[in-house]
Amino acid sequence: MKPRVAFFDFSSCEGCQLQVANLEEDIIDLSKIVEIVSFREVMKEHSDDYDIAFVEGSIMRPMDEKRLKKIREKAKILVALGSCAAFGGINKLRNQWSPEEVKKEVYGMAKEEDIEGNPFFDVFETKAVGEVVKVDYFIPGCPIDRNEFAKVVTALVMGKKPNIPNYPVCVECKKNENICVFELGKFCLGPVTRAGCNAVCPTNENECEGCRGYIENPHIDAEKGVLEKYGLTVEEMLDRFNMFNYKKEVRRER
Amino acid sequence: MKIMTKEDFLAFVDALIEHEPGKVVGVKSKGSKFVFDELSSAQELRLDYDVTILPPKKYFLPQYETMMCYDLSKPFSVKREVKIEPLIIIGIHPYDLIAIQQMEKLYLDTNVDDLYLERKRNTILIGSTIKKVAERAFAGSMGTANTNSGYDLMLTEMEDGRVAVEIGSEKGRGLLDKYAKVRDATDKEVAEVRAIKEAIVGKYERKVNLDPKEWPLLFNENYHSSIWEERASKCLACGSCTLVCPTCFCYDVEEEVGLNLKEGKRVRTWDGCLLREFTKIASGEIFRKDIKDRYRHRYMRKAVYLPERYDFIACVGCGRCATNCLPDIADPVDVVNQLVEESYSLKREGSIHIPQPATIKRMEMMTEKEVLLEIELDSGEALNHQPGQFVEVSVLGVGEAPLSVSSAPNGGKRFEIVVRKVGNVTTKLHQMSPGDKVGIRGPFGNGFDIKALEGKHLLFIAGGLGIVPMRSLINYVLNNRKDFGKVIILYGCKEPCELLFREEVAEWDKRDDIVHLLTVDSCPEGECWEGNIGVITTLIPKVSFDPKNTIAIVIGPPVMYKFVIRDLLSRGMPEENIIVSLERRMKCGIGKCGHCQMNGVYVCKEGPVFNYKDIKDLPEAFQ
Repeated sequence: MKPRVAFFDFSSCEGCQLQVANLEEDIIDLSKIVEIVSFREVMKEHSDDYDIAFVEGSIMRPMDEKRLKKIREKAKILVALGSCAAFGGINKLRNQWSPEEVKKEVYGMAKEEDIEGNPFFDVFETKAVGEVVKVDYFIPGCPIDRNEFAKVVTALVMGKKPNIPNYPVCVECKKNENICVFELGKFCLGPVTRAGCNAVCPTNENECEGCRGYIENPHIDAEKGVLEKYGLTVEEMLDRFNMFNYKKEVRRER
Repeated sequence: MKIMTKEDFLAFVDALIEHEPGKVVGVKSKGSKFVFDELSSAQELRLDYDVTILPPKKYFLPQYETMMCYDLSKPFSVKREVKIEPLIIIGIHPYDLIAIQQMEKLYLDTNVDDLYLERKRNTILIGSTIKKVAERAFAGSMGTANTNSGYDLMLTEMEDGRVAVEIGSEKGRGLLDKYAKVRDATDKEVAEVRAIKEAIVGKYERKVNLDPKEWPLLFNENYHSSIWEERASKCLACGSCTLVCPTCFCYDVEEEVGLNLKEGKRVRTWDGCLLREFTKIASGEIFRKDIKDRYRHRYMRKAVYLPERYDFIACVGCGRCATNCLPDIADPVDVVNQLVEESYSLKREGSIHIPQPATIKRMEMMTEKEVLLEIELDSGEALNHQPGQFVEVSVLGVGEAPLSVSSAPNGGKRFEIVVRKVGNVTTKLHQMSPGDKVGIRGPFGNGFDIKALEGKHLLFIAGGLGIVPMRSLINYVLNNRKDFGKVIILYGCKEPCELLFREEVAEWDKRDDIVHLLTVDSCPEGECWEGNIGVITTLIPKVSFDPKNTIAIVIGPPVMYKFVIRDLLSRGMPEENIIVSLERRMKCGIGKCGHCQMNGVYVCKEGPVFNYKDIKDLPEAFQ
């Protein structure tokens, strides 16, 4: 029997699901090996009976948390889809302010009675999916890489552990025989960022902004040393690190 | 040697592109850099290049290479299905040709790599003499700026665009016969080419200060140097140095299965030993977890491991690693020259037999028979020892004695030894005073593997003078207390008056993060002793430890080991958890003179610190 697959989204742009929808002809192959039972972006049908849940987006509110826990209960395998789900990604930038400050900034003009007690506006600090429930696997990227998604699905259907690279973007960049973007006068987070994107940005002469998150045990101090050597100030460095990989501790250093 | 005019050379390349089957690749520009890439016309060829981003290894071991294809819808259907097309590579510099020859040795040595072999058979290599030296290259001092082998044809561009061609193989000659308009070189032209080749060697500003043939010696001696930690502290562990290296040939193997779950392939792709998961096994263990260990491994492989196996130094001086290292710590020139600068044996004009002058700075009688000497090398440099290592101490006119370093490495210039008055040298040392000169050779031998002890519970068992070498480790552990688990120290001597390091032992009393017990074999009348009386083994039942997760370090007189080890084993401690340090007659300290051998093992070199498991079966180890 084909595994039943469902897609869910929380705070996100839904661009990762769009990447899946954009698999084009491959989506036919995909539908041959799994049964898609819920995928709001491409179909109306929905079922609560699924084996594999792909969850996109970050968790921002108590109501999200409740919904996510239900998904976790039903899914045999839960995969965090994209950087927002996998480690918070760009959504974590919001955590440099308290939830109260955020509410005031965003909904300050709204009437008190519309907001007070309304669960839609009841926000807490941004969390990655793994900070709320157990995540079995994750597919990083902003957005995800379609081929990597296909590889993960294939692995899961075959009962294998998906293999997400844990080496830096430099590896793929070197294999592509690029001129290092530092030599082009740019600043790159490739040395500490998880590969798997085939170094798409540096290959096109753009700097890596770290959208796939850090590798395990990144040597951040060495990277800071390099950025400094190439002329970045601490402030600029933090802005770069924080874009996709905001961590409270980093901000407090200022 | 043949000569072509510039026009005839271009016509030759164009003819190859047009008529030869397969692909013709050559050096082309890419932005401000150069790459090997397919040529569509001879005009694209840039023989004036300095170095290419990637070496031509990519044509012998491609970044991604399919090793086999299979069909999962059948029970077991595997095909090689790899088409290897004829290839001509134009413009390879000598250092890259040498690297290809090295790679060939490894891939065709035994267990012939058929994919490699087929690529080799289908490839024609046209070399070119270096015209412009790359900024970070150092081929001049590596003997790799020119080569007499490894090519089918070798080009040298001369003044006014003439191209000299040397023929390296029948394949190469065939190409010339078929497509090129050539004439024989005159004697003058032959001399001219030789002069061009000789001149290039002198153009290298970056140089290694040690003949590559001596690298194995240098790196072996410096396996424990602090240089690795120093440089690795800035290392991104990004793998760039290995990926761009013409003599890094390691690969990983991946399985790629199509979304239809039918067609699949097995692909090999470049990997590098600087990457954290290079040594990771399925259970999660990583064998070179520290960046330092990986950083060092890259050098050891190039300077020691591959040379031992194949008799070549696996560095050709192309400088690509240096260019591609963002923190700029990968340059072999810097590493070799720093090691040469610091290296003990090389600095003393190669004589390992001549001691360095050193001065006794302080002396302290510890007991009637033992004196502690604090010594400083006159060079002003630290001894750089590992806990557990020893030095050969010379008194000119009297002799030399092997003595354990008793202090922990602390970054300072001074180190301590404890001398028992037993022979001529030690008696003389007792009679010396601060300010007197001694000679020091070393540090020698295998010390404690501190990394392997980190995170473990430690049970120290010292008998008599065994506390002297053990103190270097105990103090290291106490200085870095948080890196270790529980610490228990059992220390015994014959009589109370023989107890060493009384003040430090008293300090242990004040610490609540260690357990320690003392014993004496007996307490003669007139001496005062409040502690345990009995041999050292009587202390073992008094302490509790988890035998599986505790490492015992046992040092004492020869007779002690058998009994202590018996008791530890009977408590359920695995053999490999027992570390010993042995005493033998160590005359030379460098594994040559033969006195210290236990069966075939040199205690001065492989020891004095051993894992019990490694030597327990040596009949001469614990007689």
